[in-house]
Amino acid sequence: MEKEFMDNMMEILENDEITLDDEFRNLEEWDSLSYLSTIAMIDDEHELVIPREDFSNLKTLRDILKYIKKDKEKNK
Amino acid sequence: MNNLFNLKNKKILISGASGGIGRTTAKILSSIGADCVLIGRDEKRLEETLRGMHGGNHQVFAQDITEYDALKELVKQAVADGKPFDGMVHCAGIETVLPLKILKPEHFEKSFSINVIAGFELAKHVIKKKHFNENGGSLLFLSSVMGSVGSPVKAAYCSSKGALIGGMKALALELAPKKIRVNTVSPAMVVTGMSKALLAKVTDSEKEAILKAHPLGLGEPEDVAWVCAFLLSDASRWITGTDLKVDGGYTAQ
Repeated sequence: MEKEFMDNMMEILENDEITLDDEFRNLEEWDSLSYLSTIAMIDDEHELVIPREDFSNLKTLRDILKYIKKDKEKNK
Repeated sequence: MNNLFNLKNKKILISGASGGIGRTTAKILSSIGADCVLIGRDEKRLEETLRGMHGGNHQVFAQDITEYDALKELVKQAVADGKPFDGMVHCAGIETVLPLKILKPEHFEKSFSINVIAGFELAKHVIKKKHFNENGGSLLFLSSVMGSVGSPVKAAYCSSKGALIGGMKALALELAPKKIRVNTVSPAMVVTGMSKALLAKVTDSEKEAILKAHPLGLGEPEDVAWVCAFLLSDASRWITGTDLKVDGGYTAQ
């Protein structure tokens, strides 16, 4: 799941050098379109819509991934 | 003052380049300096297009563009020479002429697949940062007057060409921050293999009505291709989100 998530994020951000510990808001490529694309990708892949308020508390790509994993645990 | 009416050193992708308006557009773009990347299903016919073109670093890809998964790799290969794209023109299209009562979902799906989805999928890969000129460029989609006005027995065609115009406007807004302009060109009837086949099916009086509907007469592929050249060139650098009719007066009535 981690690799898949990072592949998708690389596609969205058009940057192959991102890492899980990057604070995505500090990336040059991060903008409102990449925000929308990220939310839509997570919805598509994991049937999960992250509320804006929750999303605003996530800092790194790893945080997003953790959030997705936690949601999966919850719904097991 | 610079003459902006040229495509010197611009790399342009052309879908539907194996015939009709696509082929003529390839010839004309190459005549004003473009390096063209030709896509079509039939390699032999693409080679024929290539033979009629002016010199330049042209490339040919025989590919069915409704095989969407192949497009990513195709575009990647096309820029493997290190030169990014400056624009594209989606000329590939089919015209479905069937009354509603015998139209099936598959007819709509086929029209939308070639006329609309393949064009936007190609655009998606072409405009990637590593594939496109960082100073921006121009995307063109060949629509039709049938995207704005109706005609009997053309519901599948009209709806797909109208969809192109709607999508074009959305993309024009979405891509403006990247200085990528997006427009459609909408011809009325142009004398190509596709329209000749249609004219062969109609009666003399119907043919006369078609001719009468075009105050300047039927179009030639060149009439459309030169407009594409203009919209791909920097001479049109303040035009985006526009559907430009090239119709000999068809929609003036």
